[in-house]
Amino acid sequence: MSKKAFISVLLIFLLLLSACGGSKKNDNQNSGSKQNVFGTGGTLIRIVSGSENKELEPLIEQYCKKNKVSIEMTYMGSIDIMRQLQAGAANYDAVWPASSIWISMGDKDFKVKHTESISLSPVVFGIKKSLAEKIGFVDKEVSINDIMSKINSGELKFCMTSATQSNSGACAYLGFLSGLSGNPEVLTKEDLQKQQLREDITNLLSGVDRSSGSSEWLKTLFLNGNYDSMVNYESLIITTNQELVARGEEPLYLVYPYDGLSISDSPLGYIDRGDKNKEKAFLDFQKYLLSERVQSELQKLGRRTGYEGVFDENKGVFKKEWGINTDRILSPIKLPTADVIMEALNLYQGEFRKPSLSIYCLDFSGSMAGKGEKEVKEAMDLILDQQKAKDLLLQANPSEVNQVIFFNSDVIDSIIIDPSTEEALNELNKRVKDQSAGGGTDMYRAMTEALITLETYDLNKYNPAIILLTDGESGGSFEDFKAAYEELGQDIPVFSIMFGDANPEQLEEVAKYTGARVFDGRENLAGAFRSVKGYN
Amino acid sequence: MKPKWIGLGILIIVMAAVIGYFILTPKPVDKINGYLGGEKIGLFEDENFKKEMAKKYSLELNYRKAGSLDMIKADKEGMSYLFPASQTALELYRAEIGSPRRYEIILNTPLVIYTHSLVRDSLQEAGIVFESNGSYFMDMNKFVAAVKEGKTWADIGLPQLYGSISVKTTDPTKSNSGNMFAGLLANTMNGGRVVDSTSVYKVLPDLKDFFKRMGYMDTSSADLFDQFLKMGVGSYPMIAAYENQILEFAVTNPDIWKKVGDDLCIIYPTPTVYSSHVMIALDEKGDYAIDALMDPVIQDIAWKDHGFRTGISGTQAETDVFGVNGVLSQITGVMPMPDFRTMDIIVNELSN
Repeated sequence: MSKKAFISVLLIFLLLLSACGGSKKNDNQNSGSKQNVFGTGGTLIRIVSGSENKELEPLIEQYCKKNKVSIEMTYMGSIDIMRQLQAGAANYDAVWPASSIWISMGDKDFKVKHTESISLSPVVFGIKKSLAEKIGFVDKEVSINDIMSKINSGELKFCMTSATQSNSGACAYLGFLSGLSGNPEVLTKEDLQKQQLREDITNLLSGVDRSSGSSEWLKTLFLNGNYDSMVNYESLIITTNQELVARGEEPLYLVYPYDGLSISDSPLGYIDRGDKNKEKAFLDFQKYLLSERVQSELQKLGRRTGYEGVFDENKGVFKKEWGINTDRILSPIKLPTADVIMEALNLYQGEFRKPSLSIYCLDFSGSMAGKGEKEVKEAMDLILDQQKAKDLLLQANPSEVNQVIFFNSDVIDSIIIDPSTEEALNELNKRVKDQSAGGGTDMYRAMTEALITLETYDLNKYNPAIILLTDGESGGSFEDFKAAYEELGQDIPVFSIMFGDANPEQLEEVAKYTGARVFDGRENLAGAFRSVKGYN
Repeated sequence: MKPKWIGLGILIIVMAAVIGYFILTPKPVDKINGYLGGEKIGLFEDENFKKEMAKKYSLELNYRKAGSLDMIKADKEGMSYLFPASQTALELYRAEIGSPRRYEIILNTPLVIYTHSLVRDSLQEAGIVFESNGSYFMDMNKFVAAVKEGKTWADIGLPQLYGSISVKTTDPTKSNSGNMFAGLLANTMNGGRVVDSTSVYKVLPDLKDFFKRMGYMDTSSADLFDQFLKMGVGSYPMIAAYENQILEFAVTNPDIWKKVGDDLCIIYPTPTVYSSHVMIALDEKGDYAIDALMDPVIQDIAWKDHGFRTGISGTQAETDVFGVNGVLSQITGVMPMPDFRTMDIIVNELSN
């Protein structure tokens, strides 16, 4: 080989290497993920899983300790898992969404095999027991229309996960559509076009007082906040209740709408790429999960399992006084075909869901100059350019409100877009691109400015959120913001997406105070946005 | 030692090493890949099956799961065989790709209905299901009539079940068991005569209506069966799948079967249709795999441990080895499937 040829081969090799690295990063960007690795050494099984399985981590850890195997859990909404599968899921060896439909809608080239349902859990309403009694939902067959009438009368509000991100939200939403369409045998595209249904579903979703990107985090939110009810898996409501009771608080009463029920079947499947060792390691792990001992542990976490129902020893987990009866037959609605499901999800995002009121506080202080500034502009482009937003199922609903507050140590400028038409959002996008960085930092000042906007809106009609895009190094006073926040007296989450030389400390403090979260926009921008938008 | 002896010594050692290599190393195992219908995965994963294949034929059969019709159109790069569950898939292969280099019917199993005793009893009372010598049969005419009338589960005394009387199947445009049920329904709707490319148009509207009401459908009969078993009678009151699936499950999971076996029922549609699992070879290795699968020992494993009927008649003497109630030793009342062209018309209509 000549020297020249050698160098070109070397170059190609290096290029390939960097391309591999690059693509890995990209994949992460699309995922909105968080990883936890258990065990050391041995075969590594990388599982992309719904967040509801986070509760199973102690069982996974035990298994990895005893066996020569490592398991990496990456949590994602079921709909993002479907998108991963469609894109080849190169970073994963196994999928574990909340429902089989996401595997069959995502696995176009039949790579997934050995799929087995690990446990079952219906998607239900958990309502504070005293409220459930008050509105007459205890010991009664409840329909979707019954629920809607309680929402219309203002007696019931609920938290749920985003239908375009999480299986529990998607299933509940499809159940609503079916119930509101007068229980057709199965929901069709024609049903989705009906004016009455469009009005009814918009009304029903107006009862959502907090939204979340994942089922597990919805539980956390619920336990930390002051809410009346949530739509979630029976299992997560049972574990919520266990905690509420331990705290001496009132548990939730479970309501199973008979004309809008769906069941999560938690399928765990292997992505076959011909690695026999990995396949065996996977099958052994799956066998462990399906063993009688582990199935019994799953029941203790409120999951129904297997062929024969709940074991006698665990009957006490499923308490009658919480409205649960495992002997009763669960009769879910029929899920519509894949194209109807996708159409329904697009309508949810673009039209039916409660409009969001998003106030973006963009840090244009001196410390953001250069890299940070560039990243923030790219981020805003992703959400304001409607073509890009639609690819991520993040498109704006015209009736939503978007505000951008540019800040350094002061508020530089502030622009409100209402209604959020495509043209208006394009204008706003241009304006963001023109802004340059300089000066000191006071994010509290900008957040307080955001509260002033919020005061002028009827917040029952919106899902409000403040979203900070910053490096997190701020002067000013948190106490001043707190005072203004208390005065407004509303439940407004302040999410942060970090850029530049990010420092999360101050941001975590704000997130904790307002019931929100901090995301890293540098590693995982699309994922961070999908997460934030899942919450409002 | 004289140099000449050293040379000879080395020669002997080398020869011994070479001979030893050939004797001690097992014959290299041929790993081949192909597309497999999900209902046969249990057989292909069976340790005895794998051992027999490796020992006698030096073959390791790898697979990728695919629906019987989907696999015909799938990318066949690096694949040596297709193993769908029907002759319709073979016909589709002929139409899309051409004459196969070799094919053979390896296994047979009839299409049956699975349900729970609660549902079976109600259907029996409603006259749709009847019993004879401990086996249960579904009168397909009466079933179709009930579906056309829009009878609900509540109408036959099961208000705890949601919606109308129906049988869930896999997607008839993608997977064989659903496709066969579509063929069977079309024949029934045609007054019990096999539909052809003219008579089929009369039954298309009703047929389309039947599947439209099903909504989302699984694409694999193995997944459908697993969900039927686990998700309970409310989710899957009745499904159409292969007879071998319950037999295989009972053999593979004897402990579970002891607990749930009495509740799960097998119902034979009258008439029914036969699923002929035909292997299509894509290269020489595929030809060889066909020979291996026809081996009597392999065929015995296929019946006793996985419930596939073998041989031409499909008659099996021992049906009580499985511990499943009401398994027929001989399947009677088998009706031919509509021909490929007719099935193509049906699939096209159902795809829209």
